[in-house]
Amino acid sequence: MIHGIPLSDVLLASAALFSIGIAGALLRRNAIQIFLSIELMMNAANLALIGYGAALGTPEGQIIVFFVIAIAAAEASVGLAIFVALFRHTETIDVNKITLLKW
Amino acid sequence: MTARIFFDAFAALAIVFAGIMVVTRHPVRSVLSLVVSFVGLAASYVTLGAPFIGVLQVIVYAGAILVLFLFVLMLLNLDRPPAERGGRPVQAFLGGLGAIVFAAMLLGALRGSGTALPAAAPVPPDPLSLGEPASLARVLFGEYLLHFEAISVLLLAALVGAFVLARRESRV
Repeated sequence: MIHGIPLSDVLLASAALFSIGIAGALLRRNAIQIFLSIELMMNAANLALIGYGAALGTPEGQIIVFFVIAIAAAEASVGLAIFVALFRHTETIDVNKITLLKW
Repeated sequence: MTARIFFDAFAALAIVFAGIMVVTRHPVRSVLSLVVSFVGLAASYVTLGAPFIGVLQVIVYAGAILVLFLFVLMLLNLDRPPAERGGRPVQAFLGGLGAIVFAAMLLGALRGSGTALPAAAPVPPDPLSLGEPASLARVLFGEYLLHFEAISVLLLAALVGAFVLARRESRV
């Protein structure tokens, strides 16, 4: 219990968000939407970390989330730069049409 | 009890808009619904006693990262009609099946011992003070100072990497 909120509620919400993210990453074909789904999965993990940190009464959960947000910013900038470079070469960001590495 | 109602409402908002993000085929709509979802998540962080992280979520995630996504979408000028349905039914079926199996596995883990906490969890007298910027900064700049500096190096590397990757390579 975190001042009235049961930990199971937090973990259920986190699991739901992570599953939605998995579904999006597997079903979408637009590379940007796949990337957004990955961001969503990171946020689901962040929610679980904050929930556990609050339930255990330690600041480490929030510290890890702080680092995850910083790493997500770095990852988003590099990933989007890759998409821009990819779009210049292939004129598409549909992952089914990008077959550069396929034999 | 009110805290629980607020948390559940904000979490439901986040989940609904995450669903819209996955279902829609229009990338801009996708990004905008993820903004709403992340704002809902930020509000639920606040109800969990992490107001600083909630503010960070709004500023960095909903503000900076997703606006960067929007910039790139505008830059790529993908205003053609979204891709047609179908094409790879087996792939779509297996993807949906995989997501459902994964969700079932997560739920199974939660129904087991997922929510059991270590017995000797030291709960401080006022858990709400954990998320205060001052107490968070004391830990961040004390015990985790080296990690914090490593993050700054990582951000610098990402800056250089993004610049090199997105540069026009005609003159290389």
